[in-house]
Amino acid sequence: MTYEEAIRQLDNIVRQIETGEMGIDQLTAQLKRAQELIAFCRDTLYKTDEEVQKLLQPETEK
Amino acid sequence: MHYLCQSNLVNVETLTLFELNQRVRGAIDEALPDKYWVRAEMSSVNVNAAGHCYIELVQKHPSGAGMVAKARATIWAGRFRMLRPYFEQATGQAFTAGISVQLLVTVGFHELYGLSFVVEDIDPTYTLGDMAQRRREILLRLEREGTIDLNKELPLPMLPRRVAVISSETAAGYGDFCHQLATNAYGFVFCPKLFPAVMQGDAVEATVIAALDAIAAEEENWDVVVIIRGGGAASDLVGFDTYLLAANCAQFPLPIITGIGHERDATVLDAVAHTSVKTPTAAAEFLIGRTAEAAARLEHLTDSLAAALTTRITAEKQRLQGLALRLPASFAVRKANETAAITLRLQRLRTAVGTLMAEQRHRLEVASKVLAGANPAVILRRGYSITYAPDGHAVRHAADLHEGDILVTRFADGEKKSIVTE
Repeated sequence: MTYEEAIRQLDNIVRQIETGEMGIDQLTAQLKRAQELIAFCRDTLYKTDEEVQKLLQPETEK
Repeated sequence: MHYLCQSNLVNVETLTLFELNQRVRGAIDEALPDKYWVRAEMSSVNVNAAGHCYIELVQKHPSGAGMVAKARATIWAGRFRMLRPYFEQATGQAFTAGISVQLLVTVGFHELYGLSFVVEDIDPTYTLGDMAQRRREILLRLEREGTIDLNKELPLPMLPRRVAVISSETAAGYGDFCHQLATNAYGFVFCPKLFPAVMQGDAVEATVIAALDAIAAEEENWDVVVIIRGGGAASDLVGFDTYLLAANCAQFPLPIITGIGHERDATVLDAVAHTSVKTPTAAAEFLIGRTAEAAARLEHLTDSLAAALTTRITAEKQRLQGLALRLPASFAVRKANETAAITLRLQRLRTAVGTLMAEQRHRLEVASKVLAGANPAVILRRGYSITYAPDGHAVRHAADLHEGDILVTRFADGEKKSIVTE
């Protein structure tokens, strides 16, 4: 998942809660999803992931 | 033996090379005594240890193919020390090969060194105009081809953290850029990788395009491309003002950010890039700023989520409370309604019963009056009497009686027996 996609999904959840589109039964599941998305975005902002490490690896081996 | 007829050569002088060159020098001095503004492109510029500057001037054919003129020019060290900073400050462009200049020259001929111009002054406005003209032509061409805004129209990723950097390995600019990214105040993580290129002189076009090609080959690995070079007092930006480089950048599939350290007019490269800033540090700041926006948006969303949840849950609670309150209330209303209905019915019932009773009472009265009229006792009192036959029945017909029958006659005040005689 890209950061942009995560933000888009998060945006969607917030909007659905705000407009009352989301049923109270879905709330718990969607809240869990929202927290996962926030964690993913925070990690992307503040942590170097393995994927990117790999990308930079060959350069240091050369 | 001579090629030509002997007679034609009778009056021909014979000179040494030096003598002939002396005459050439004299002729030139006489024919071209003034100073002249000459416009030309510098194909090479060399400064020797003594500080003298030796220039190769050329004039290209308008079609671009081949040259129509070529000459050497010299700026003596004393003059060059003044002219160079003057020129570079005025144009923001290094005094270097590849640019067009307008020079104030005297024409000289030296017996040993041949024809050479000595430069006395330089007009930076011509160079500025020429550079601007070149840029305009390139931009016009890109506009005609419909490619000029292509890179600008690319969406800038929300999070530009995988950064392909085109720069010179040794350039201070690249170090500044990486340092700036690595030490950003927010603690954001960026992943810059260098794709080396030559950042000045003739090799700019070819090496930058090669670096772009290398990035394009692994396009999915990168969010943005940054082209940077450290800025000096004056920069040699002519290499960035080429059609091929601009066309490549304009059509590049990733957004390009430039920070190539110019102080004046933007280069063609800046004009086609997605975003153009002045320095490598500013380029890093741009990426950090963009990321900070993304982080702020995330925080805002997180807050909105919490607020939306609170609002939603409060609303649900209120709804529930409302329902709970309305439950007994609705019962009470219902009860009151029912009670009222019952009371109404009771009243109607009472009224109906009353009416019915009155009617009945009336009828009873009427009936009892009628009845009172029919009472035999009453009739007897009026003077009538009833005669009973011996079988106990009231006598209604004379024929029913026979001689000797004992009759009982009842009066209002008693009975008397009698015998039928006839």
